[in-house]
Amino acid sequence: MWVSLAAIIVVASAIGIGIMLAISWFPAQGSNVAPKIDTFWNVLIVVSVPIFVSVVTMMLFSIWRWRQRPGEEGLDGPPIHGSTKLEVIWTIIPTIIIAALSTYAAILLLDIQAAPAKGTRVVNVNGIQFAWNFETKTDAGPVKSNLLYLPVNEPVTFDIRSKDVIHAFWVPAFRMQVDAVPGITTSYSLTPTKVGSFDIVCAELCGLGHAYMRSTVTVLPPARYKAVMAGLAHASAAVGGSK
Amino acid sequence: MEAAAIPAPAAQDDHHHGPPVANQSSRVNSEVLGILLFIISEIMLFGAFFAAYFFIRVVNADGWPPGAGLPVAVAATNAAILLSSSVTMHWTDVSAKRGNQAGMRIGIVTTFLLGCTFLFIQINEYLHLGFTPKTSASASVFFGLTGLHGAHVIIGLLLLWMSAVRIFKGKVGPANYKGLEVPGIYWHFVDAMWIVVFTTIYVL
Amino acid sequence: MASKIRQAGWYRALAFTILGIAVCIGLSTGLRAAFGLNPVYDGTAVLQISLLMVPIFFLGGIGCFDYWLRWASGRKVVDDHADHGAKSWKDYFKVNTDHKVIGIQYICVSFFFMFVGGLMAMLVRAELAAPGRQFVDPNTYNGLFSVHATLLIFLFVIPVFAGIANYVLPLMIGAPDMAFPRLNALSFWMLPLAGVMMLLSFLAPGGSFAAGWTAYAPLSVDAPIGQAFFTIAVQFAGASSIATALNFLVTIITMRAPGMTFFRMPLLVWANFSTSLLVVIATPFIAASQFMVLLDRALGFNFFNPAGGGDVLMYQHVFWFYSHPAVYIMMLPGFGIISEVLATRARKPVFGYRMMAFSLLAIVLLGFTVWAHHMFVSGMPNWVRIPMMATTAIIAIPTGIKIFSWVATLWRGVLKMDTPMLWATGFIAMFTLGGISGVMLAMVPLDIHVSDTYFIVAHIHYVLFGGSLFTIFAGIYFWFPKMTGRMFNEKLGKIHFWLTFVFFNLTFAPMHLIGVQGMPRRVSDYAEQFATWNMIISISSFILGLSSLLFLYNMVASWRSGPKASSNPWNSLTIEWQVSSPPPIFNFDTIPSVVGGPYEYGVPGAVHAIVGDPAKDLVPAGAGATEGHS
Repeated sequence: MWVSLAAIIVVASAIGIGIMLAISWFPAQGSNVAPKIDTFWNVLIVVSVPIFVSVVTMMLFSIWRWRQRPGEEGLDGPPIHGSTKLEVIWTIIPTIIIAALSTYAAILLLDIQAAPAKGTRVVNVNGIQFAWNFETKTDAGPVKSNLLYLPVNEPVTFDIRSKDVIHAFWVPAFRMQVDAVPGITTSYSLTPTKVGSFDIVCAELCGLGHAYMRSTVTVLPPARYKAVMAGLAHASAAVGGSK
Repeated sequence: MEAAAIPAPAAQDDHHHGPPVANQSSRVNSEVLGILLFIISEIMLFGAFFAAYFFIRVVNADGWPPGAGLPVAVAATNAAILLSSSVTMHWTDVSAKRGNQAGMRIGIVTTFLLGCTFLFIQINEYLHLGFTPKTSASASVFFGLTGLHGAHVIIGLLLLWMSAVRIFKGKVGPANYKGLEVPGIYWHFVDAMWIVVFTTIYVL
Repeated sequence: MASKIRQAGWYRALAFTILGIAVCIGLSTGLRAAFGLNPVYDGTAVLQISLLMVPIFFLGGIGCFDYWLRWASGRKVVDDHADHGAKSWKDYFKVNTDHKVIGIQYICVSFFFMFVGGLMAMLVRAELAAPGRQFVDPNTYNGLFSVHATLLIFLFVIPVFAGIANYVLPLMIGAPDMAFPRLNALSFWMLPLAGVMMLLSFLAPGGSFAAGWTAYAPLSVDAPIGQAFFTIAVQFAGASSIATALNFLVTIITMRAPGMTFFRMPLLVWANFSTSLLVVIATPFIAASQFMVLLDRALGFNFFNPAGGGDVLMYQHVFWFYSHPAVYIMMLPGFGIISEVLATRARKPVFGYRMMAFSLLAIVLLGFTVWAHHMFVSGMPNWVRIPMMATTAIIAIPTGIKIFSWVATLWRGVLKMDTPMLWATGFIAMFTLGGISGVMLAMVPLDIHVSDTYFIVAHIHYVLFGGSLFTIFAGIYFWFPKMTGRMFNEKLGKIHFWLTFVFFNLTFAPMHLIGVQGMPRRVSDYAEQFATWNMIISISSFILGLSSLLFLYNMVASWRSGPKASSNPWNSLTIEWQVSSPPPIFNFDTIPSVVGGPYEYGVPGAVHAIVGDPAKDLVPAGAGATEGHS
């Protein structure tokens, strides 16, 4: 019985892990952080699936093996009140798993949130109901826009603020999300690693237009980025001058 | 499947008698335990406002609104008044247990009047502070905490009023003083809470 | 008519309500005149004062305070038990002090709000069936999901557990009633008021409250007047919750039958003991958070106004200090129900009874140390986030102990897989999933990505629907014969389970995926790429919604004309099954005496309690199951 149960659990876990890993969970990996988060996710899957499979297998096996059959209506099960050994085991094993996962997560957190190097490009992100404003200093002057442009493979720090209510600056492709909290500045640093356009989403309910508070970040090769920013700086200056 | 022996008569002829007397499974009396648990709840309510104090005054280090400063002397006098009302409350309690009707009456009236005096001085302080809750967040914290306490003084006074009515109708005595003891415990809590509020706001 | 208005009841309640509104108008205009405010009549001010005060007038009118006021004014009070027990259905619409009547009142009212809240979920899913705007504008949409969550949390899950416990807990511990029957009645009557207030918010100018059930400041401070309905209704729901919890604690501590030591209490009693501790300690924090919002809104306080030095994150700290324990408030009583159902239907003692009790207390303690895991992306430093991650993950350990012990309880039992048992085992599977996604969410780096996404929506529905609601169904089916004296339709119950189980998973499992892929929660519109999954989810959710009608039909039809239930159809040992179904008006003729543990199934000759007059009747009630079958 025990051997076949163990076999079922191992096989089912393997199948479960296989399926779960085969699912394409995440959007494109657009930053240096993304692969780390995705690996962490895979580790969580590998740890979680066997736990779920074990619980469900033992339960379904009990139901199959010991369900009340005709003629057993008056019977009771054996009066097993507990087992200290088992209870110790299923306290200690989860404790070890939890400790290991938490340690991994803490190290990962400190890694992905390491302080940015001096001179890192700063983008001021301002959330207002219901749009994102981005301010970047460039050689050609300050650039203000509703669309975000970033050069690929260059670290960037987002300083995030809000003028009205709480928003959350979420770029799924970057695996980063930070609240824009009125009254304080939050920040997040990473390096975009993939050229392309990615969604920016507001993830914190901010009122009527919350669902529509979306924008796009365009990651460009450095030369192209410079050209785009120069054009935008020119436009910003023109707008600023006309006021 | 009818396993158990069912007390058959119980279902039908139950209209001529009341419920069986419950077993008392704890030395603590249920009314006293009830008010103590309620006070725990109240302490947590104050706790939430102290959390506001903590975030705004300690974490963000906001000062009190500029002006003449908080009237510490007035508040200290007021604290003394409220504390003495705890003493008279205790005296009322003791009188009730001894069956001293006159002591009870004088005690409850004194306590009630001291409570009213506290409230009067507090409101007067509000009017002469020179700032309102709209002034700043720390002003909101000031009014939040002292106002919450003031509201509790009002609730305490209502309870004392009820006790007073019952005392003057002769319903309270050595055999029957739960209706005085429970409001009394609550009043002591209101007083003790003022010490904490006073220390946090005026002293620290 | 005049005598009817003087008597406690609906006529007087109506009169008092009108009187209350008049008083509030007078009070508001009077105060505004005294402070020299212009205009003297301000509709918003009147509305907010009315929301606070009119319910109290109503409660006075319906008769919640009559006894206390008579007592406080020193008049003679008689305990004639006239307001105890129900003789006709009309008695369920009056102030009643019988814990069994109040329990049924609680359960029916909370299920009413479950159906209303569920209907809102259907509207939400209809809107989300396709990208773009379908049926409702964004404001209504925000209102719908906010009211949906608020109703199901404050008016369904929390009170329905209180209702079930109200009914069975005094019976289980051998008490004739709750410790404070009149407070119990007051707790109940505050509840429908809170629910009606939340529903009325749809009529408010600017629409219902739409800042989510979390009502984050400053969005809730700036919101239209509908938000005040939430702010104030939560005060009444919270007060009701605290009063009930206090009542349970006092009842459990002071009114146990002789011999009922703490470690002979059924685990449902333990669960409600733990829950009540949480409620008494944590609930004042949500009251305070909403008071601060109300003060900011109505009187211009600056608690959450950054321009005045206010602290926006402080709201979240205070709010979650309640609302995280609140998820245990919504789960621990369910744990108790599952332990009762499993032990009885598996015919085995609960595995590791003491650890089951201790793990409840461990969850209570740990529950207070994890609130900030809801704020991992709100700009907190790592030295707060990492400890909060650790404590959050640690909660998985006592919870895991419970799940493993339940599975071990099934092991080698004689499992009767009837409706309550199906729900209980279904719960174990679903709650394990919810727990696992919970541990994932506790991990800060992952939470940074999935915070406020559909992954969260999936997680909370696995915990609160697959978790709490499954236990509620298990409990309702399990105690239905005791409460109504009739059996439900077993076949319909099973169909109900399977429909719910399948379509619950079809509805909520895909949400994990679309969340991780990038769909934020609380949106009425979404990117084109999520369209297919959302359509599947919506269709499944409609069938899920329809399946609850089966439950409704089963309950109503069985209550009216189901076959009569015996006193102990499940052959259980605990005391509530040793009295008639439904129990006699005062529960017992004489207080039972407890002589053993509650789950001694399979122990020859084991007895939990001796119920009935020992002098007349020496047959031990609930004697071992060997002779139990007839």
